[in-house]
Amino acid sequence: MRLTLRCRVTLSFGFGLLVVTSVLALATWNLASGYMLRQREASATRQAEVNVRLVEKSLSSPGLDELLTGLTTGPDSSILVLSPDGLVTAGRKVEPSQLPAELVERPPGQARITVGGLPVIAVTRPVAGNAVYVELFPLQQLDRTFGFLSAVLIAGTISSALLGAALGSWASKRALKPLAELSSAAGRIAGGDLRARLPDQDDPDLAALAAKFNSTAQALEQRALRDARFASDVSHELRSPLTTMVNAGAVLRRRREHLPGTAGTALELLTSEVDRFARMVVDLLEISRLDQTDDYEPDELDLSALVRHVVATRWRAVPVSALPVRVQGDRRRLDRVLANLMENAERHAGGAIFVAVRQDGTTARVEVEDDGPGVPEALREQIFERFARGRPGSRGDDTGSGLGLALVREHVHRHRGRVWVEDRFPRGARFVVELPAITKS
Amino acid sequence: MCVGVLLVEDDERIRQALSLALSDEDFTVDEAGSGEEALRRLETESFDVVLVDLTLPGMDGLEVVRTLRARGDLPIIVVTARTDARDVIAGLEAGADDYVTKPLMASVLAARIRALLRRRGPGREAVRIGDLEIRPHEGLVHRAGERVHLTRTEFRLLLELAGAGGRIVTREQLLQKVWGYDYFGDTRLLDVHIRRLRRKIEANPDDPALVLTVRGTGYRIRS
Repeated sequence: MRLTLRCRVTLSFGFGLLVVTSVLALATWNLASGYMLRQREASATRQAEVNVRLVEKSLSSPGLDELLTGLTTGPDSSILVLSPDGLVTAGRKVEPSQLPAELVERPPGQARITVGGLPVIAVTRPVAGNAVYVELFPLQQLDRTFGFLSAVLIAGTISSALLGAALGSWASKRALKPLAELSSAAGRIAGGDLRARLPDQDDPDLAALAAKFNSTAQALEQRALRDARFASDVSHELRSPLTTMVNAGAVLRRRREHLPGTAGTALELLTSEVDRFARMVVDLLEISRLDQTDDYEPDELDLSALVRHVVATRWRAVPVSALPVRVQGDRRRLDRVLANLMENAERHAGGAIFVAVRQDGTTARVEVEDDGPGVPEALREQIFERFARGRPGSRGDDTGSGLGLALVREHVHRHRGRVWVEDRFPRGARFVVELPAITKS
Repeated sequence: MCVGVLLVEDDERIRQALSLALSDEDFTVDEAGSGEEALRRLETESFDVVLVDLTLPGMDGLEVVRTLRARGDLPIIVVTARTDARDVIAGLEAGADDYVTKPLMASVLAARIRALLRRRGPGREAVRIGDLEIRPHEGLVHRAGERVHLTRTEFRLLLELAGAGGRIVTREQLLQKVWGYDYFGDTRLLDVHIRRLRRKIEANPDDPALVLTVRGTGYRIRS
């Protein structure tokens, strides 16, 4: 799996800062600890040399014990004087065997060793020929300082790595923000909102991209509008001749009995196609109007009353089960949705047999059921397309405009709802419209 | 009874076809090719209803409607080629009683005309609402003793509301009873007429006290 760009930038910032601060911390550690140790050793040596001179003077006097006790600097420091006569010690108890033999046998010398679990600096000096003076200076204090120093350095390194990661995350987010905007705008355009645009960019690197994107979107919108306007203009221009044709057709149809045989059949063909043509033009105009203008007039209304009303006007025999559901909607469009579904059922399935309106939580549901042949799985999306002749075999006697269900879908989408068709048991189809319901809080 | 229709339309073929088809529906149709001609004829002749195409050469259809409305309450139906809300509302605001869009069918038009000319219900008692007095059989409305001029459609709208005695009358009921609509509930037709009615009978049309809106359902009169 490949990490996202943001993730990678975050990681590399964090890692980079970790490396830099570790190097710095290590160097600091080495320099500081070395320097402090040398200081300590130098002071221990100076101290030991001063002490040696004092010891030399009273080496054979009986007060050596007392002198040594006075010279020790604390409970953890020790002084040993090894002479052929014996061993005199003071301070913390240390056996000569605990000390490295080389150090004791060949004074002067000094070393950092651990005696009895304590880190010390041992300094040896020859005293009066054949005696050896050994002083052990404890390093606990220094060790505690070192511990504190290393803790500070480690904490600093870790927090700077975290800071680096945070910085990387923030920087990449900032740098990628225009990209996120671009992606969201492109998504909106893909989803059909051709008015999506990018905001103006100050950065010259991004301004060109944004300008290019916006001009492309603008051209796309213009073009879609032009197409819609063309369809609208065409159907608009067709309205006048159609008015003449439809009415002349009505006059002729009334006189059908005066035209027997072939002429009568031709007349019927002609008038029924003119009527269908008129329906098509009206639907085409409506759908192209949807494409280019928006005269959506929402109003709070009771969907069940609207459905009952539409069904009662032309399909009085169809049973309706409708519970009151309030929705935000455009009456004319919702009327159209239901009428088109009813007409669709009439045209393809011998008419609707049941209409239901109910509320499912936050959605209002309208169902139109028929017991016709149903809609095959493969065509269930397609029948909502413009001019898609859904059901096989129905083409010949189809009298619809080919836009009825497309209009249903457009209107339902405008209401932020969905429409689909499903199987009905035991046979037939069920068209379902779902709209957001108004829920009283 | 024969209904006299004046058809104002500049397209001669539409005029002819509509005349023929409306004659089949038992109307007597007279034709006028322009707004000027229509206004001239209406000065001397009398018609029961006028059909006006909104896109006329010369004098604009809207102007014709406005002039006719200023003259009296002759029923007017406008014919529009566009279904844009703007055109329809402009036509209704100018004073039209109803509208149809092309391609219009004579049978639909005939139903509209009949609904428009339908006789008022048999003699109802005079109704008083606040300072408003409605006398149904005389077709008169007085506000604080002064006569208010309502068109036939406005009067019937008021009568339907008053007849319900304060109960809610739904939009569908109003559209059906006043205009004979039973399909494609049209918000604009009713909204514009309610607005016109309020302008004439309300003291403050922006804050109606007589014709009240019941949101999402319809209207009711203050009882």
